[in-house]
Amino acid sequence: MMDVVVIGGGPSGLAAASEIALKGYEVMILERDDELGGLLQQCIHDGFGTILFNESLSGPEFADRFIEKVKESNVDIKLETYVKSVDKKEGCFELLTVTPEGVHKIKSRSIVYAIGCRERNRFEIKIGGTRPAGVYTAGTVQRLVNLYGVLPGKDPVIVGGGDVGLIVARHLYLEGVDSLLMVYPEDFFSGLPRNAQQCILDFDIPYRNRTTVKRIIGDKKIEGVELVEVDKNWEMIPGTEEICECDSVILSVGLIPYSEKVEELGAEIDKETKGPVVNEYYGTTVEGVFSVGNLVQIFDYVDDAVKTAYIVADGVDKFLRNIDGKRKKSVKLVPGDKIRTVTPQRIDYDEGKEVTIFFRPDVEKENAEVCLVSSEKVIKKYRKKYIRPSTLEEIKVPKGLFDGEKEVIIYVL
Amino acid sequence: MRIPQKVKKFLSESRYDISFVVEEDIVFLKGRVETYEDWVDIGLKIGSIKGVNGVVNDIEWDGKRENDFEDLNKKSKRSKKENLGEYEIVIIGGGIIGCSIARELSKYELDVALIEKEPDVSLGQTRANNGMVHPGIAPSKKTLKRKLNIRGNAMYGELSQELDVPFKRVGSLILITPRTMEKYRRYLPGFFYKFFLKHVLPWFVKRKGEMNGLEGIEILKGEEIFQEESGIVDDVISAVKIPSTGIVDPYEWTIALYENAKKNGVDFYLNAEVLGFDKEEGLIKKVFTDRGVLKCGHAINAAGLYSDVIAEMAGTREFTIHPRKGVELLFNKRLEDRVHNCLAELKIPSHPTSKGGGINPTVHGNIIWGPTAEEVESKSKTSVDKEEIHEIMERYTTILPQFPKSEFIRYFAGVRAASFTEDFIIRPAKKVKNLLHVAAIQSPGIASAPAIAEYSVELLKDMGVDLRRDDSFDGERKSIDRVSEMSEDELKRRVEEEPSWGNIVCTCEMTSEAEIVEAINRGAESFDAVKRRTRAGMGECQESYCLLRIAEIISRELDIPLNKVKKEWEESQFFDGIVRGEEP
Repeated sequence: MMDVVVIGGGPSGLAAASEIALKGYEVMILERDDELGGLLQQCIHDGFGTILFNESLSGPEFADRFIEKVKESNVDIKLETYVKSVDKKEGCFELLTVTPEGVHKIKSRSIVYAIGCRERNRFEIKIGGTRPAGVYTAGTVQRLVNLYGVLPGKDPVIVGGGDVGLIVARHLYLEGVDSLLMVYPEDFFSGLPRNAQQCILDFDIPYRNRTTVKRIIGDKKIEGVELVEVDKNWEMIPGTEEICECDSVILSVGLIPYSEKVEELGAEIDKETKGPVVNEYYGTTVEGVFSVGNLVQIFDYVDDAVKTAYIVADGVDKFLRNIDGKRKKSVKLVPGDKIRTVTPQRIDYDEGKEVTIFFRPDVEKENAEVCLVSSEKVIKKYRKKYIRPSTLEEIKVPKGLFDGEKEVIIYVL
Repeated sequence: MRIPQKVKKFLSESRYDISFVVEEDIVFLKGRVETYEDWVDIGLKIGSIKGVNGVVNDIEWDGKRENDFEDLNKKSKRSKKENLGEYEIVIIGGGIIGCSIARELSKYELDVALIEKEPDVSLGQTRANNGMVHPGIAPSKKTLKRKLNIRGNAMYGELSQELDVPFKRVGSLILITPRTMEKYRRYLPGFFYKFFLKHVLPWFVKRKGEMNGLEGIEILKGEEIFQEESGIVDDVISAVKIPSTGIVDPYEWTIALYENAKKNGVDFYLNAEVLGFDKEEGLIKKVFTDRGVLKCGHAINAAGLYSDVIAEMAGTREFTIHPRKGVELLFNKRLEDRVHNCLAELKIPSHPTSKGGGINPTVHGNIIWGPTAEEVESKSKTSVDKEEIHEIMERYTTILPQFPKSEFIRYFAGVRAASFTEDFIIRPAKKVKNLLHVAAIQSPGIASAPAIAEYSVELLKDMGVDLRRDDSFDGERKSIDRVSEMSEDELKRRVEEEPSWGNIVCTCEMTSEAEIVEAINRGAESFDAVKRRTRAGMGECQESYCLLRIAEIISRELDIPLNKVKKEWEESQFFDGIVRGEEP
């Protein structure tokens, strides 16, 4: 019987496994790929670790720090492992895993899900037209170029001005793809400003804002796309359609937490984050099941995602030691006006500690006031210099602030 | 009135100047109209005249872009001289119909070949079908559709055992709601309207089914409906349950037929397009293709959307295909428990351009909404626009209002090969006595397919084909084993024998490396061919995780570079170019 099984060997899973092992528990980590590191292995650009290590590392370098930690600790590492099913049994969980080495039953007292997210595809954003070869997600292209040394095409259109799209654009440009076009529906790139500057503007890569792909053209292989301008609400403006030839389309149109597995176990899912609802220790609504990293919500920085893993270690510890410090009723944290998401969504314990709350604004604003409100009373205010929907914000809530509250609404004034 | 008079009468009322000829009950139309819609409309009206056996619609319309018939001369120049062999029967078309006939013929001592222009079987209308095995309640009496549908449906159970392909007799519910006869509502006071929908209409529907020869039809009311299907809209008035309706995966089924026919001696020529025929004394002697020449005793025209082109090539045009597009929305498997029956809301009169369609379960657990029905000019128009997606979402949400309609994972479209007489055309060609048309097979084509094959063989017998049973025929075929369907013990055993059973490549559908390798060993050469055989890539993430992993396995197994792996056709290679400094 394991104390903890961590599912997912990306940065958050690795960090959670080593932190929990440090506390003296028996930990096993399961990874579906044949190496640890998760998505970071295909992110060979730098910029990782600026928050945690004050250094700018490449993806694999950043991952390596955590892989080393896991290897130094007593964590049992299982690669090429697919979790076929998880059953809740009396006092424990039973996992059935499939690997090339065999099929195994693993019993564990608790589970930490760190299975991250997947990329949204063309169907989820309802791109019309045909379904030919040549339409890829940005992650697939990253993997293709970085791990296989193959290019997706010579004349791609990149859809989406987020960080992954920006980085892929630069990378393709540097690898000799000089006919590139990036389109995105916002007014300005939604990725980090530094990425917009360093990836697109510095190289004069052509881009069009307020533009999206309406249709894909070509029966067998993609021949082009029909671009269309969009308004503030991202609605297509009729009459602005324009055909643009291309030999591939690369989609960087958002990420979605892989929440299906936790949902099957009975965990409540947040409609906004699309990840499981968690408490301040990243416990889901199912006792003994925890969730960290991009599965909880999509983080802008891997550094922030990893922070959740440090916190979960304390939560797992509490659970395994059977420490009962829970409130009779948990405090609900609810996104209010001009806020899209809030995590964690619940405060379960009342022993009091500072809680870091992440929120994603639904508005672009300078000098924004962020208010915590309970029973129509403002209980705390924070000032943010500049907020926008594409940047995840955090606030630290001091000890004891939530005492006696039932529901706290967070909104932007 | 005889046919010419009826046609003349109809055309004299038309605002266009259309000329016509009637020969052996086939109506040939010529002239010019303003719109494509008018072209379809006139064809359909002529086709509905009693006694008309086919409509060849050569009317031009303004703005016509494609012409299937113009380049027939150019086509014949591409044919290759290489001799591919001599066959008693050559089947043209590798859809569910061609493959069903191929397998049926493989039961006899005959040399049979099947020619398909695409790189795999089932790539025409077969693959974009929702897989409903209709019960046979819809076709009207005296149609070939009615006869073959009911017989075909009954054959599915046993065949599915032999071919090892899942078939589920899930049943269907025809739902009667306040919207069923909305158009007539104003003629009936509220109480009578409801009474009619509750007590009279379901009885009519049931009666129609029974007249067609269906058994076990039940009328459900009130709670009974919700017990059968809990998510149905509250205001449903009554429902008619038909137990014999089934579901099947149309391309898995076709691939199984193909594999079994091949095993029993049928030669398949894929990537071979028919470019012309050599005829002597009115009979086809040779079939020219871009892969070579096949000598033949008899030919079968099962070319689906292009069956009218094949007929023209053979010099025996008797019908025109008017392509009718259908769009489908496919939903996440996690919604499997929400739908158990094939569901459709009865509408009287049916929608003029987009009748039918509904909500169906699939054998794999996805729920499917659709199809629409739209007359389109191009036979290859399978694009789907945002408006069409919304149209489906809106139309069917009235049946299942609580269903999370935005959780679809894919949309696609197929084009039906409809004729103007709107019935199947299965008969010896009028002018070429050794050619059998098995054409204009649209809905309920899947349900009818096994019976169409049987019927085709009967007709071949009448046409002089000597049928002797082949005692060595083996109808058993095994599908590729699936990790997702294995018990724990079975899986344990398999992984011990061969570790690649334990390497899960597609995590949404739980497809292992061993399954992908087996598909390639069975002849899959492209990503989509692997996908159809293993379901890898068909899950929620739609290939975004496994595309490269599968491409890598194909590249390894076929010994080709990764950037030569194709999605489906030679022209649909995935990737282009290599990173600076890397060797290809």
